[in-house]
Amino acid sequence: MNTVAAVRDIAGVTLRQLLGRRRTVLLVLLSVVPILLAAAFRAAGETDIQRFTRIVFDGLYVAILLPLVAVLFGTGAFGAEIEDGTIVYLLAKPIPRAAVVIAKALSAAGVAIVLTVASAGLAGVIELLPAGPDGQAATLGYIAAMAVGSVCYATLFLALSLFTRRALVIGIGYMLVWEGGLSSLLPGIANLSIRQYSLGVADAFIQLHKDPARLTPGTAMTLAVILVVVAMVVASWRLMRFELPGSSD
Amino acid sequence: MTVQNVESMPGPAAAPAIELVNAARWYGNVVAVNDVSFALGPGVTGLLGPNGAGKTTLLHMLAGFLAPSAGTVHVLGRSPHRDPSVYRQIGLVPEREAVYPFLTGFEYVRFNARLQGMADADAASRRAISLVGLDDAADRAIGTYSKGMRQRAKVAGALVHDPQVLLLDEPFNGMDPRQRLAMMDLLGQMAEAGRTILFSSHILEEVERIGTEILVMVSGRLAASGDFRAIRALMTDRPHTIKIRSSDDRRLATALMADPAVFAVELKDGSLAVQTAHLSTFRRLIAGASRAAGVRLVEVVSADESLESVFDYLVRR
Repeated sequence: MNTVAAVRDIAGVTLRQLLGRRRTVLLVLLSVVPILLAAAFRAAGETDIQRFTRIVFDGLYVAILLPLVAVLFGTGAFGAEIEDGTIVYLLAKPIPRAAVVIAKALSAAGVAIVLTVASAGLAGVIELLPAGPDGQAATLGYIAAMAVGSVCYATLFLALSLFTRRALVIGIGYMLVWEGGLSSLLPGIANLSIRQYSLGVADAFIQLHKDPARLTPGTAMTLAVILVVVAMVVASWRLMRFELPGSSD
Repeated sequence: MTVQNVESMPGPAAAPAIELVNAARWYGNVVAVNDVSFALGPGVTGLLGPNGAGKTTLLHMLAGFLAPSAGTVHVLGRSPHRDPSVYRQIGLVPEREAVYPFLTGFEYVRFNARLQGMADADAASRRAISLVGLDDAADRAIGTYSKGMRQRAKVAGALVHDPQVLLLDEPFNGMDPRQRLAMMDLLGQMAEAGRTILFSSHILEEVERIGTEILVMVSGRLAASGDFRAIRALMTDRPHTIKIRSSDDRRLATALMADPAVFAVELKDGSLAVQTAHLSTFRRLIAGASRAAGVRLVEVVSADESLESVFDYLVRR
């Protein structure tokens, strides 16, 4: 079996699954909100890019849109198939479980990247690019943050969805309580926060905020890679041991 | 409930395609499958039982989706659990209806063929779709299919790689009678070609029509296995009703009542209904009794040989 072909086929079906859901339309609409906000800033003649990035990029993209989009796609990649039973068509095939996980992760992370990067890129083009080199660097930085964050959230919660049907609820709890609340109170939590990984990566392009608790780009990237690899390995392990629910008959 | 092993049970000399030895599966305190043993070779076998009997759990164990809590499960000589390579030789039709609704029938079957690593997935898919009679709807999205069409698409996806073992969970659900007959013929042909086919059903007529060999599950246990008529004959403590037409039913009734193997005789609707607890004894008796009474036998049939009666009996035991 050509594993690459299997990954491509499963990813193709998963993409159609994810894009065909109603919640995807809602996420697309949600991703338009910060673009409109950027347009509003631009129309108002706002030139303080620090203020703009704090409100729109840190406050909307990194804190809300990125985790929401990636967690929804990450949990939906397997979740929908487990829910409706179509997972059986993947499990009953002579393909490595890691290939199934890779295909699912590529699809979920890919869709999340496209949505968040396109939205953040457009917002940056509208408000930040005209601000000169700093604006361009900030746009690139947040695009990188969207990409890294999408991969991390999507793979982590994809793996979690193989353990529990409440992965989405846990993901939203993680986003609001862990990252939104605790990480601002307890700086040490930054090592276990995808939001901090994303911001740390953005800092590789430009340091807009002088936050001493922020991870360095190198550390952020290293932790992000470790997270993704561990999540993929755990997901593959779990899928190999996956038992079909609803087998009580 | 005791397991009744029938000698006519398929027991191939070579390694059986499917073999369970004291297999059990429980969820916490709930025992779904309890101490089940059987072996199957090529042919069609019906897995019969009421809802909740453990059929799906058993099929999921065979398909490698559930590990046995005790005992062993082997398909083609190996444990299917945690061994994806075994799926090259297994085709599975799950009970749940869901099939990717956005794929056309052809795309769905080809998806299966490609994941099986088939060299010419398109040709194999067209062949499988033809086998289940879905050619006309092959380019329509599965979301627009009727339940019966979805079932046929699932079957096409399961047999597209020509598996050695085909496991089908309630495959005839939603099919109309014509489609059922066609599907039964197809499964019969595959069995004749040496495939091992195990299908579950709670509808007795389905099993009776297609599978002469049956496994009957009740409350997680294998209540009986083998040729369903042989199973029926083993149940000597259950009355069998024999319907007889003869040249003189009244005289024959008198003759039969003299034998202790017969405990009830009824003249009804122009025939004789005889109840006996010993079918084999009665078969020997009837010839001699009719001859001695000078009565010519026109017809002797078992009135309750249907699977329904077998099943009712097993469930009540």
